[in-house]
Amino acid sequence: MTPTLEPETQAKRPSLTRKLLFRSPRSKSPKSPKESAAQPAMIGQGKLTPYMFSFPAVLVVSAVLAYPVLAGIYQSLFRADEIGLPEEWVGFQNYSDLFNDGDFYAALWRTAIFVGGSLVVGLTLGLFFSFALFRAVGGLRWMRAATLAPYLISNVAAAVMFRLIFNGDLGVINNWLGYIGIEGPAWLADTRWSMVVVIFSQVWTDLPLTILLLLGGLMTIDKSYFDAALVDGASPWKRARHVTIPLLAPQIVVSTVWLSYSTLTGLGVVLALTGGGPLGSTTTLAMELYNTAFRRLEFNQALAMATVILVLNALLTLLYVRVSRRFQVPG
Amino acid sequence: MAVVSTPSPAATAQPVGDQRSSLSKFFRRIRIGLPLTLLGLWTFLPFLVTLSVSLKTRVETFSDLGLIPDEPNLDAYREVISDPTFTSAFTNSVIVGIGTTILTIIVGVPAAYAFARFNFRGRNLILLFTLLPRLVPSIGVLVPLYRLAVTLGALDRRLTLIVVYAGTLIPLAVWLMVGFFQQIPREIEEAAAVDGASLFTRLRYIVMPLASPALITIAVLSFREAWNEFTLVLVLTTSPDTRTLPFALFKLGQSEGISNFPAEAAFAILTVLPFILIYSRVEKYVVAGLTSGGGK
Repeated sequence: MTPTLEPETQAKRPSLTRKLLFRSPRSKSPKSPKESAAQPAMIGQGKLTPYMFSFPAVLVVSAVLAYPVLAGIYQSLFRADEIGLPEEWVGFQNYSDLFNDGDFYAALWRTAIFVGGSLVVGLTLGLFFSFALFRAVGGLRWMRAATLAPYLISNVAAAVMFRLIFNGDLGVINNWLGYIGIEGPAWLADTRWSMVVVIFSQVWTDLPLTILLLLGGLMTIDKSYFDAALVDGASPWKRARHVTIPLLAPQIVVSTVWLSYSTLTGLGVVLALTGGGPLGSTTTLAMELYNTAFRRLEFNQALAMATVILVLNALLTLLYVRVSRRFQVPG
Repeated sequence: MAVVSTPSPAATAQPVGDQRSSLSKFFRRIRIGLPLTLLGLWTFLPFLVTLSVSLKTRVETFSDLGLIPDEPNLDAYREVISDPTFTSAFTNSVIVGIGTTILTIIVGVPAAYAFARFNFRGRNLILLFTLLPRLVPSIGVLVPLYRLAVTLGALDRRLTLIVVYAGTLIPLAVWLMVGFFQQIPREIEEAAAVDGASLFTRLRYIVMPLASPALITIAVLSFREAWNEFTLVLVLTTSPDTRTLPFALFKLGQSEGISNFPAEAAFAILTVLPFILIYSRVEKYVVAGLTSGGGK
């Protein structure tokens, strides 16, 4: 019963994406032949019991997630002429306005930089650190648990921390840069650097789960691959490039999907760190949505933006899965 | 860091002979130690900097830039703790955190049990309706939930936050618990049923005790979400009476005038610390629960 991370059982499991997309949860645990046959009803099970057990969950989840998101998409087809007036059907007017708006494209471009930058930084650091942690055995095992620390704190607390680190006058980064004779920029107050800091802060909050995913993948890889590469005299870099990374492809795809989802839809870090500033230089789509809804009170336009974000997210996920298939090693 | 000097036996699967020189040993230590040191720096530097600033006075933050304060003091902490904004936000966070945890478990666990154990018409469809909404990002429901709360008069209530957080967590809870329940052999329950144990008795005395690692995992993840969530609480509350800690900390950073860095840092530390303490106590259950349920 004690759950373990046995490499043998893990190696057999289908990738998380596959499971999410195609499998019912019943096939999650390795099942005995007996289990896969139709299950007999449990003794003492009333006809209505399963429905009574599952109804509250469906109700709450529908009320909080399913209904609002669908209602939001529907209401993005309406608009009030002025705040407070009743909303009227306008078809795709909100969308066509959006696609004729320079601010929207600017926000889209910044979002592309934000997502792309976070993916590059996040995957590079994620791979590097998960390789490092993979070797941390014995007395260093505690590092694996400690790495989760950024995952345990709120976006706001992370933002406070990064504001202190990157403060132009008293921040530790500029202090250290001063030692080697570089006068650091004002970072968050500088339109050229603000996005860089936002990317690093976002990646900092997202990296623990990425590392955990990649580390889990590393632990499932059969050791004999490494041994074979070693016997063939492959350099560490070549081993990583031609053996480890291809074998890690499923976890890299899931990490990509997760980092991309988190940055594309993420509002917390940006809002708490810069609020979209300075001069709009970090106003991503999510931030623009927040401003539209809660600063300008144009709710229906904001709902149209939410739909665009949802569609973009779905398209990106499809793209990653597509591209990854091309690189997958057969078998 | 001390990490570098720690020997790491069997760290790599290299077939090294007996004659490995002390030089190659040294290089191996660096190869393992350096990336880990960088990882430690990456993970903990933000915490250390914040801790350092929180132990300084407002003047010292500008005059004493070093990571270790010259004259550490707890003035900033005293200031934060005596601030009613902090105490009421702390109370709200505790209430919302506990409420969310309880609601998630009492709604999510029976559902997961039904999906794992019972065969019933529409099972897969209902399961889909429970799990699929997990993919909806909170930005997608931010505006609709706000407008729904306005319509229902549910704005600015702790109960609203509890229900909303539980709703976002139940898919995850069901996902983890179904996997866990399926690992408990049916035979144990069937034997108890033959002996006359009712469904409730079996749940109470057999299933729940066996599932406790998974329950702890779900409790911790639920509490974490309620404790740390920011954008929904920002939108769904309007007064300090219902605000949780992240919102209160955000407000502090938005205040006019020269920033009170030590107070902000101390506030952040006091926000972060309680949950990290809870987590470090139950960490092994959470890791076990995550790797055995959803991970498999």
